[in-house]
Amino acid sequence: MDLLGFYPLFYVPNIGSAWLMGLTGAIHIMASHTSVGAALLFAFLAHKAQKENRTDLYDYMKRYGMFLLIFSYVIGSITGPGIWYTATAASPRGISALIHNFVWVWATEWVFFVYEVLGVFALIYFMDKVDRKTHLKLTYTFAIASVGTLALIIGIISFMMWPGTEAYYTTGSASDAFFGTNTFPHMFLRIGFMIMMSGIIGMIISSAMRKENKELSEELTQKMGWVSLLGGFVTVFFFMWYIDTLPSNAHALLGLAKDSIIMNRVVLAILFSIYFSIAIMKPQWISRTLAITMMFVIGIVGVWPGEKLRETMRKPWVAGQYVYSNQIIGRDVPGKGIKSEVDLIATKGLLKVNPWIPERLRTITPENKLEVGKLLTRITCSNCHSLDKGGLYRPLIPLAGPMGEAGIKDYMKNVIGTGSSPYMPKIALPDEEYDAIAAYIASQAN
Amino acid sequence: MEISTFVNVMRDSAGIPFYPVVFQGLYVLTWALHAAFVLLALGSMGLSIYGSTQQKSDPYWKILTPHLIMTGKISVSVLIVLGVAPLLFTQVIYDSGWYVANTLSGAWVFIFIYALVIGYMMYYWYQSANKKGSSANTLIGIISFAILVFCGVLMHNFAVEAISPTKWMDWYAPNGVVDNAGWNMHLDLIRLGFMVSLMIPVTGIFMQNYSRFLSTRPDFEPKYLEFVKNLGTKMAVIGLVISAALFAVWMLKENLLFHPLSLATVASVVVLLVLAMGNKNSYVTTGILVIVALLISAVRELIRYNVMSGIGYDLYGYPMNLEWETIIMFLLTFVVLGFTGIAFILTMAWKVGKTEGVYTATEGSAVSRLANASLTLFILWIVVYFGWGMVALFKNTMGV
Repeated sequence: MDLLGFYPLFYVPNIGSAWLMGLTGAIHIMASHTSVGAALLFAFLAHKAQKENRTDLYDYMKRYGMFLLIFSYVIGSITGPGIWYTATAASPRGISALIHNFVWVWATEWVFFVYEVLGVFALIYFMDKVDRKTHLKLTYTFAIASVGTLALIIGIISFMMWPGTEAYYTTGSASDAFFGTNTFPHMFLRIGFMIMMSGIIGMIISSAMRKENKELSEELTQKMGWVSLLGGFVTVFFFMWYIDTLPSNAHALLGLAKDSIIMNRVVLAILFSIYFSIAIMKPQWISRTLAITMMFVIGIVGVWPGEKLRETMRKPWVAGQYVYSNQIIGRDVPGKGIKSEVDLIATKGLLKVNPWIPERLRTITPENKLEVGKLLTRITCSNCHSLDKGGLYRPLIPLAGPMGEAGIKDYMKNVIGTGSSPYMPKIALPDEEYDAIAAYIASQAN
Repeated sequence: MEISTFVNVMRDSAGIPFYPVVFQGLYVLTWALHAAFVLLALGSMGLSIYGSTQQKSDPYWKILTPHLIMTGKISVSVLIVLGVAPLLFTQVIYDSGWYVANTLSGAWVFIFIYALVIGYMMYYWYQSANKKGSSANTLIGIISFAILVFCGVLMHNFAVEAISPTKWMDWYAPNGVVDNAGWNMHLDLIRLGFMVSLMIPVTGIFMQNYSRFLSTRPDFEPKYLEFVKNLGTKMAVIGLVISAALFAVWMLKENLLFHPLSLATVASVVVLLVLAMGNKNSYVTTGILVIVALLISAVRELIRYNVMSGIGYDLYGYPMNLEWETIIMFLLTFVVLGFTGIAFILTMAWKVGKTEGVYTATEGSAVSRLANASLTLFILWIVVYFGWGMVALFKNTMGV
């Protein structure tokens, strides 16, 4: 019996498991990017404090650090593995592909994480307990370690989009997979955003200090305005380079939503430029409430759609352009001895090659046709579409239902089954499996 | 369908990048480290809750309670970061087990993450409430503690599911009807009870260390340190007896009571008990505790290996695609940069802890030398990273 290495399917009604991952991912990005940005900011502030003997800057760093402990080292450090966990439940073979290509890169990142976690406690709690010079060295190493975590994860998440060159498919080498054309633009784009986030969070802290020290509060709000502006400029600059290094399927999807994306980014850039300019010119206008509100604005209007876009542009793949979003391996990777599963599934059918199909459903009968159809639809479509009526995540029923049973089968067989859609996996199946899927989707639309 | 086909077919088609036994060893090592901080976090937190009810009337508990809370707080962060490593290594070699458990319990996976976020944030609230003398501090601490214990139970659930391959299909499709909701929960109460019980002796030995470490500080009263030491010894001894009993029952259930690894664990626990009881040098006791932790981790791995190989899973035959460049990067980073960097922070922490007031690292002192070495190594690492990246990119885009 030919079997393929599928896993059980975890299905979340209405929103889909990918949304759970997206939610955790968006929260993590806010926290983790602030963490790296703040590490760079601390190095700058500690350097300035030491050079100019500005002891008041240490008070600011301490307050910022306490905020950082909760924001980045509670929320960020839990949602980091959290993305991993939820991605495992949603796309086990996608995560497995990443793990089996990059385990040593991740293990290296782990060394940096350990240094970062011990370092942040030392940096904050030893501020008044160790001499300034040693503390400054700790701050420098902490900043490099934080950037190091980005340097190590960036090649992996860039590979999720694509390896960047054809070399990986031939050599199978993690180095070729890691350093694609997309890696460095992606890295600097994120560094820009990290710097900007450190300024945005920095304004929350500085504006909260107004009662105790108005002069220092305004000076720091002004500085944070400059830091944010610099970060924002770097983000926009590298975003353009980043877009240029995306694969053709991403451009096909990007083209569909280009106008709204450009509008969203332009509005955000104007809004935040005004906000940062106010911080620079009129720091007294920046209250804590405004600063917190702007943090949520960047999260909800900037990061969440940005992450959804990145997730969408990857389609139909989830890892290295060889694992499809529905967990089927869609191309050969000779360097690793990986074979495409598409043809075998087309010949034998998913019911025969997926080890998680109960025996009573392996053969389609008039009695079980709808049940089999439901299961096959979940396996092949649910990673990208809500299957429930009123589902929120690219709902399938309103899209496909109106085609009718014959129309659905025709579309599946002649468009999806031939791999003609640039953003959908090639799902080639035997006729009877198409029939079961079409019957199920049509039954839901009625 | 043959269960051996089932588990072997789920191995990743990319193969593994190094010898399986190396991942197995790294798993045992890093799980032991992770577990040590899980136990210290839960133990110190649990004890601090008791302390929070005593501190108003007892001056010793007034000093000890915030210290226990701080220990718990740092330990939770450390356990999270240390937990990443075993998580990584387990899914390299036992991918089928880990991914099946995650998908069968997908809903619990999601709940686990947010429960941990809420539980740990509440822990910070607990610390703040305790500092301010709020009357609600104990209640906040209890809720936080309960949530964090619940997270431990969920992790235990994933571990139990991962080593139950013969039951997977029944759990996924009971009576042939597929259930994709991800609400599976399966516990092994003896194993869980043993693991949780270990928090008592681990915290006891930590308190012996605390007392010994601070004995050179003139600002800590000897009577207070004596109180902490005695409490630590009591906890270590009672806790070890309870844990040893639960361990024996667990091993009996697993049919491993007379396995050499199991016997070695029991022997080490006896040595640990004698050392903890005498408390001549708690640092030596801690060394033995580390060995016990490694042995327990090895016993866990033995159980998993037996289960998986028993159904035909060929761990050592996992296809390999050797990956030299990235393993060299890991080894050099781990051994050279990691050891130097961590030595810098820990040596500094040791000196700060021993000093009343501000500690100054003079030129040529260990802290100063380690700080300079760490900074140099970090800079070097970044230079090598960019150099490597550029060479790889030039090679692949320009055919250089």
